[in-house]
Amino acid sequence: MKKTIITFARWGNYTIAFKTIFDQLGLEVIPPEPTNPTTIAEGAKISPEMYCFPLKTTLGNVLPGLRKGANTVFMVQNIGGSCRQRYYGAIQKKVLEENGHQVNFLDFRATPRDIYRTIKKISGASSWQIIRAARFFFKKLRLIEKIEKKAQFYRPREIKKGTTDQVLTESLTELEKLNKEKDFPRLRKEILKSFSEIETEKDKKIPRVALVGEIYTVCDPSINFDLESKLGKEGIEVHREMDITYHLKKLVFPWKDWTIQRKINPYLRSTVGGHGRDAIYEMLHYVKEDFDGIIHLLPFGCMPEVTVRPILEKIHLESGIPFLSLSLDEQVAEAGINTRLEAFIDVVRNHYNSKQ
Amino acid sequence: MTIGIPRALIYWKRPQFWESFFEDLGFRVLLSPETNKELVEAGVRVSDPENCFSTKVFFGHLLWLDGKVDWVFVPRLKTNAEKLEYCPKFFALPDLSKILVRTPILTETFNEKKEPLEGTLAKLGRKIGREKREVKRAREKAFLKEKDEEREKRENFFRKIEEKTTKITLVSHPYNFYDDYVNLRVKEKLEKLGAQTIFIEETPVNETINQRSKVQDKDYPKFHWEFGKEWMEKIDAILDYNITGAIEISSFQCGCDAVLKEFVEKKFKQNSIPFLYLLIDEQTGEAGLQTRLEAFIDTLR
Repeated sequence: MKKTIITFARWGNYTIAFKTIFDQLGLEVIPPEPTNPTTIAEGAKISPEMYCFPLKTTLGNVLPGLRKGANTVFMVQNIGGSCRQRYYGAIQKKVLEENGHQVNFLDFRATPRDIYRTIKKISGASSWQIIRAARFFFKKLRLIEKIEKKAQFYRPREIKKGTTDQVLTESLTELEKLNKEKDFPRLRKEILKSFSEIETEKDKKIPRVALVGEIYTVCDPSINFDLESKLGKEGIEVHREMDITYHLKKLVFPWKDWTIQRKINPYLRSTVGGHGRDAIYEMLHYVKEDFDGIIHLLPFGCMPEVTVRPILEKIHLESGIPFLSLSLDEQVAEAGINTRLEAFIDVVRNHYNSKQ
Repeated sequence: MTIGIPRALIYWKRPQFWESFFEDLGFRVLLSPETNKELVEAGVRVSDPENCFSTKVFFGHLLWLDGKVDWVFVPRLKTNAEKLEYCPKFFALPDLSKILVRTPILTETFNEKKEPLEGTLAKLGRKIGREKREVKRAREKAFLKEKDEEREKRENFFRKIEEKTTKITLVSHPYNFYDDYVNLRVKEKLEKLGAQTIFIEETPVNETINQRSKVQDKDYPKFHWEFGKEWMEKIDAILDYNITGAIEISSFQCGCDAVLKEFVEKKFKQNSIPFLYLLIDEQTGEAGLQTRLEAFIDTLR
């Protein structure tokens, strides 16, 4: 048998954490290509036309790795109940085979047991090794999520524009290089220190905007055209609740779903798959918190998000909170998004000023 | 008291049944008219632009019923008797309908994973003030009617299969197949071109065939959608008969079809049966469809 060389789908800054798992277990891994117009075009070219956008981008990320000699692809399935994500593995395998790539697809369900089994099977590592790798993965993941939140806070407040983004990029690069768990506390300290050294305007009052919607488009800055950074540079604080920890927590502990269902009962009395319910719940939450705007992100034609969008629009009409829904696919150009965003930022500022 | 049923989407999952059920319980049932241009336009105007075409048509029917009836019946179909899910867009239909119309919506969650159909129907009966006994009688009558229809379909199927013409299977959802405006009278057009159409859901699935397909390694994933499993099984079944060609009709932005199409196409191609994929939406022109159908029929000869 040939040696297993792994590649996997990219997901924003979290890719760094995923890579750690394979590195720690001594598997050979080719990291996925960062998402750029070329990979998106390549992925979209061979994938089914009517399928949702993340399938096309993830396929595009994997392709360069396969050309470099990877022969195993990691793909999670069943991220959100009824949604099409469940068939990503099957479809991508079929599409890749039709295009002459012989790949081994590790299509596992997103339950801790199934993840553990798949990793055990592929790496042959002992349970202790896997637990240690998982621990390191969670440490890195938590730090990434933490500095993302910090960046959201610092961006609108920084005095010299662009400092935060610079610090964020540097920290992520450092984090990617780190592969000894022993050195982690020191690096963590350094990163947090560099964030606290960013000069900020104290007591600045700024409008707040929340991102809701489909988890992949919300979390990956290369998919949503760096929305967080763009808003931050315009002096708007961005909030989002969606991240991997949130998703994993929901997978393991079901009671979060019960709370969500109870809160959204006047609007929707059933699940719609994916994170459809969460979008409504989050929007209601942010309206209550007196935010100044909501941006709803979704891949074009995403079934759960399209289904809940009329409900989000209803909440928007009832509460008067500025609302912008952006559907993304391979044909959306950055210029178009920028124009809509500029108009939206004006609306947000007006809304904020009228409140004062 | 009048109950309105939109003649779209979920109606076609069980035609006859709901009509018969409510009429037996002593209600007047008002069905929305067959789909026409005005209905589609009204639906397209109110619904989300990225929603699938079938849902847009459904909203058009719903708006037509608004104000004409005491209740509009929009069930929330979640899982069927085989514990397989319906399309996720069905899950939220009652909630979305409530936003659009002022007429009260009569709804009940049909989730057979948690509760058998009988229980849900009894609950529905209680909502409209009917006793369990009455509901039971109405239910049984409706089931009988449904069974009659099924038998008729079966006989029809074997009659069609015997004929010595070009036979074309139409793979589609019932709400696309039975609604003649939506599918642009594709059946009529094919018949004019001298071909016989067989709807995939009419195909009887033999238990023995079923057993066999369980044993052999399937080349498609285990679908959690009821229509996914049904289609693949029925395609397996219909391949045993002598079929000339296959056409899949799907509505624009149907997420489930995007998945299924890949495997349906693969199945037909493996058996070297010509396959045509038609995508319909509110902008599809009849002339374009006619040309494609003619070209397809020509390839079969």
